[in-house]
Amino acid sequence: MRAALTIASKDLKTELRSKEMISAMFLFSLLIVLAFRFGFEESVSAGSVDMPDLAAASLWICFSFSAIVGMHSSFAKEKDRETLEGLMLCPVERSELYLGKVISNMVLVFIVDVLSIAFFALFFAYDYGGNGLAVVVIALLGTVTLVLVGTLVAAISVNTKAREVLLPILLIPLIAFSVIMPSVTLTGDAIAGMATESVREIVSIAGFAVIFGVVGYLTADYVFEG
Amino acid sequence: MNLKLGKYWVWFAGISAALMLITVLLAVYYAPVAASSVKTANELFPSIEGSTITVAGFVADREIMNPIRYPEDPPVTAIILADFSDYRRYLDAVVAGDLEGEWWTVEPITVRGPYLPLGTNVSATGEVVATLDSSSFMLSCDSSDDVVELSSPGEAGIMTSPISQKIFYFHMPSAWVSYVGFFLTLVFGVMYLRTRNRTYDRVAASSAELGVLFATIAIVTGPVWAKEEWGVYWRWDDTKLVTTFVMWLVYIGYLMLRAAVVDHSVRARISAVYGILGFVTMPMSLLSSRIAPLIRSSHPQVIASSSGGLSMEAGITIGIAVVAFTFLFITMLIKRVEIEESEDELEELKRRVGGEE
Repeated sequence: MRAALTIASKDLKTELRSKEMISAMFLFSLLIVLAFRFGFEESVSAGSVDMPDLAAASLWICFSFSAIVGMHSSFAKEKDRETLEGLMLCPVERSELYLGKVISNMVLVFIVDVLSIAFFALFFAYDYGGNGLAVVVIALLGTVTLVLVGTLVAAISVNTKAREVLLPILLIPLIAFSVIMPSVTLTGDAIAGMATESVREIVSIAGFAVIFGVVGYLTADYVFEG
Repeated sequence: MNLKLGKYWVWFAGISAALMLITVLLAVYYAPVAASSVKTANELFPSIEGSTITVAGFVADREIMNPIRYPEDPPVTAIILADFSDYRRYLDAVVAGDLEGEWWTVEPITVRGPYLPLGTNVSATGEVVATLDSSSFMLSCDSSDDVVELSSPGEAGIMTSPISQKIFYFHMPSAWVSYVGFFLTLVFGVMYLRTRNRTYDRVAASSAELGVLFATIAIVTGPVWAKEEWGVYWRWDDTKLVTTFVMWLVYIGYLMLRAAVVDHSVRARISAVYGILGFVTMPMSLLSSRIAPLIRSSHPQVIASSSGGLSMEAGITIGIAVVAFTFLFITMLIKRVEIEESEDELEELKRRVGGEE
């Protein structure tokens, strides 16, 4: 676990210096929010759109796609600079390497999630029915599952020719049921102030987090292999 | 598995072909559209005209549509609709708050209507004024007070029409074989990672490919069946359909992943890991109709459902069809693995002849 934290802090330190990934992720999610604002302009202005639904759906599209951008570059960068070999030469368990990447990705993705929530509120002049904090907590919950599976798939797809294209193709079907659907329901419920009633969704997201985490931890040895 | 099975492939192919033939014969002569499942209106209701009967109605309310999930719901007004397109009209009327009268006037009822075979638990009582054709008749209902407990006139709707009866013997075995294929992808992926024997990787890849092929057959034949039985081609609120679709996408991703890697050992290694990861979607699809009380699904539970759903004749036929498809799968798998082997051999020869690349 200490090695994982070291790797995570190394990632975050380089990120803090270059701000390469987080700016790309943030801009990407900002543009998605903007696209939704333009797309729903007429119905939002007329007040005829179901705001909790729209907020839940567009926020989770933001979260998933910006996370894909971030998780992809977290490995692509290492691969291109040939530092992935260096990491694998470290006397560290491969599962620790996976965990370290998960932790650093989780921090970055969550920061972008919070920023997207804020910018959605700003662009749509929307206060999440006063339950903004619950939306943030659910974003954290869903992000854990999303990053656990996404980091593993990104580590897989970085070995391929068409890696930018392949990551979403491989990842989105996996997260459709495990993350996006329950999280959208949960976010919608949270805005309506009844997130605590959706036990089924919470259990489902947490259950998939366990499944993906265990698979990732056990297969890390095979994914990171020189 | 050093593919010692390989030389027996002709036997597997022969058994599969023979069983397929038996399936077809059984489907036509032994278990045709079960006489008890499809009844004309006259058979259903002898001397139907003028009599007061109770028929299952189409309950056009999303929450009530699946009676399995909401058994505690109070009986609701059954809405008798001629066909599924009227469902939209009904929803519009609900939104407009205009539900008076019109929906209880004389309306033709399609006995094999949407949702009707799914054990609809609401019905309407009325006087039959005319029999229209083999499957529909006119019913006069006085008021919404006529709603009583269900007495479903038809059998469980899996094979209530000639088309859905025939397609079912392809649909369900194809789906079954695709599950087998994806399971083998998992098993041989794990075995490859443990032993690094390339034969295992070839089997994993071939069975994923065949799994996708048979899942495609299931996904294409499913809507044809559903149109007959449910009245719609596809239902996004049916968990089985959606999870199967997602599973199909995952394994298409698996094949794309394999196509995108040149080095065969990297390809085998990472696709084995993705095969393990992607396998989470398989039980979701396989079990989604079984845990119907938890999630929304009206897909028939063919095996191990308490109510059966299939007649004994149809059950035997489908059992033979499943065995036939399994042998077909084994045959195709053996051949597919052999092709993979030849391809690798060819690569090797090319490499030796041409020096590099």
